[in-house]
Amino acid sequence: MRILLELALYLATGTAYWWWTQNLTFYGLAPNLIFAGALCAAILAGPVKAIAWGFFLGLYADMLGVSAFGGYALTYSLMAYAVYVVKRHFDMDSFFSQLVGALALSWLSMLFYMGLSLAFARINPTGLKIFLAEPFLNALAVPVVFQVFYLAKRRFGAL
Amino acid sequence: MSREKDAANYALVFFAVISVLLLLFPASKPAHTARIIVSYSLYPSLHYGAKYAYFVRNVPANFVALLETDQENRALKEKLRGLELRLHEASALEEENARLTREMRLSRALPWAGSWARVVNKTPSDWYGSFYINKGSKDGIAVNDAVLGMQEGRAALAGRVFEVYPEFSKVLLLTNAAASAVCAIAPAGFEALVEGKGTWLLKMNYVPEEAALAEGAELVTAPGGLLFPAGVPVGRVTKVYPRESFMNFITADVSPHVNVNTLKEVFVVRRALPRELAAARMEQE
Repeated sequence: MRILLELALYLATGTAYWWWTQNLTFYGLAPNLIFAGALCAAILAGPVKAIAWGFFLGLYADMLGVSAFGGYALTYSLMAYAVYVVKRHFDMDSFFSQLVGALALSWLSMLFYMGLSLAFARINPTGLKIFLAEPFLNALAVPVVFQVFYLAKRRFGAL
Repeated sequence: MSREKDAANYALVFFAVISVLLLLFPASKPAHTARIIVSYSLYPSLHYGAKYAYFVRNVPANFVALLETDQENRALKEKLRGLELRLHEASALEEENARLTREMRLSRALPWAGSWARVVNKTPSDWYGSFYINKGSKDGIAVNDAVLGMQEGRAALAGRVFEVYPEFSKVLLLTNAAASAVCAIAPAGFEALVEGKGTWLLKMNYVPEEAALAEGAELVTAPGGLLFPAGVPVGRVTKVYPRESFMNFITADVSPHVNVNTLKEVFVVRRALPRELAAARMEQE
């Protein structure tokens, strides 16, 4: 039952991101809900499950894109591991640390993904506008997604 | 803790290796197969998302439309309030216009010259005693001028001008306890004194016993009273009191024709007063 709930949450996260980018973009910008989902799962879940969530959400993001299949899966898996290390020293449940964490990890994961893309596909898929603006949108989205995931964990035992 | 760390490390290595393999060999058969599996597994969510997207597709547009409608609604409500206010004003003006037209028509039929004035102030503590009108000495108003009110299609005595200022005047009402007028009882023509009581009723005094005064008798100003022009309707007898044993006249209650509560405009009669009164007027002025 719990695995079905997690599957539903996973699909809902990916679909919500896809729907948002289709209907609610503002000057071509939208928060990366898949990134936010991966970060929130990394904060809330145990390390193995967190890395698995990062990997599978990354696959979802890879499926939506056309270049470097596996790039986001690697990026979000590493991000989940980094969060696992960091959260032993910092309280990632608080609003402020989530904002700062989302901002820093957005840029780090973007840079890492750009590096992967350039190395494996010889293209840079991230434009400057997105590179500069999206981390702030992600920072705003993460606390909201965190509350949704936290609710799913507390009420239904997911994550 | 160490076990958890080991598990995390193994998981990271496992998923990282898969990712790197996918990245390294994008065109290989396993990578291609993985890609197809992922696509076929996840595309349904997009397919059904798209299928039911029309439920939420218009949410942003509808939300904006809702906000705009709300703003429009507020603006229209404000406009409606303004229009209702104007409608009330217009109906009040229409009513006033009809009343003034009626009064103007009536005043043309009056045998006296004079001018119209608007009642501008009534004092609650002296409601049946006096009020102010918006005409003064600049408009030719003088002390002791008779003041008529128009009600039920006729002119009737309301009082007299008591004090005159350049821009306005004070009118002493007939219902004031200090006011009085000599009246004649139609049709016999007996004269008696009508006095104010400070209430909505007047008191009629000094009526001869043989006057055969009856309820409903009409009173008009008498030619003998110098202050008011003769023949102005004053009121109607509502109650006749029997003669007291120690008096040789009877008294009665009189209901004035002019209702102070509904009086908005008055007609101030201008006429040549007898010499004695004119002298008194000059002294006061």
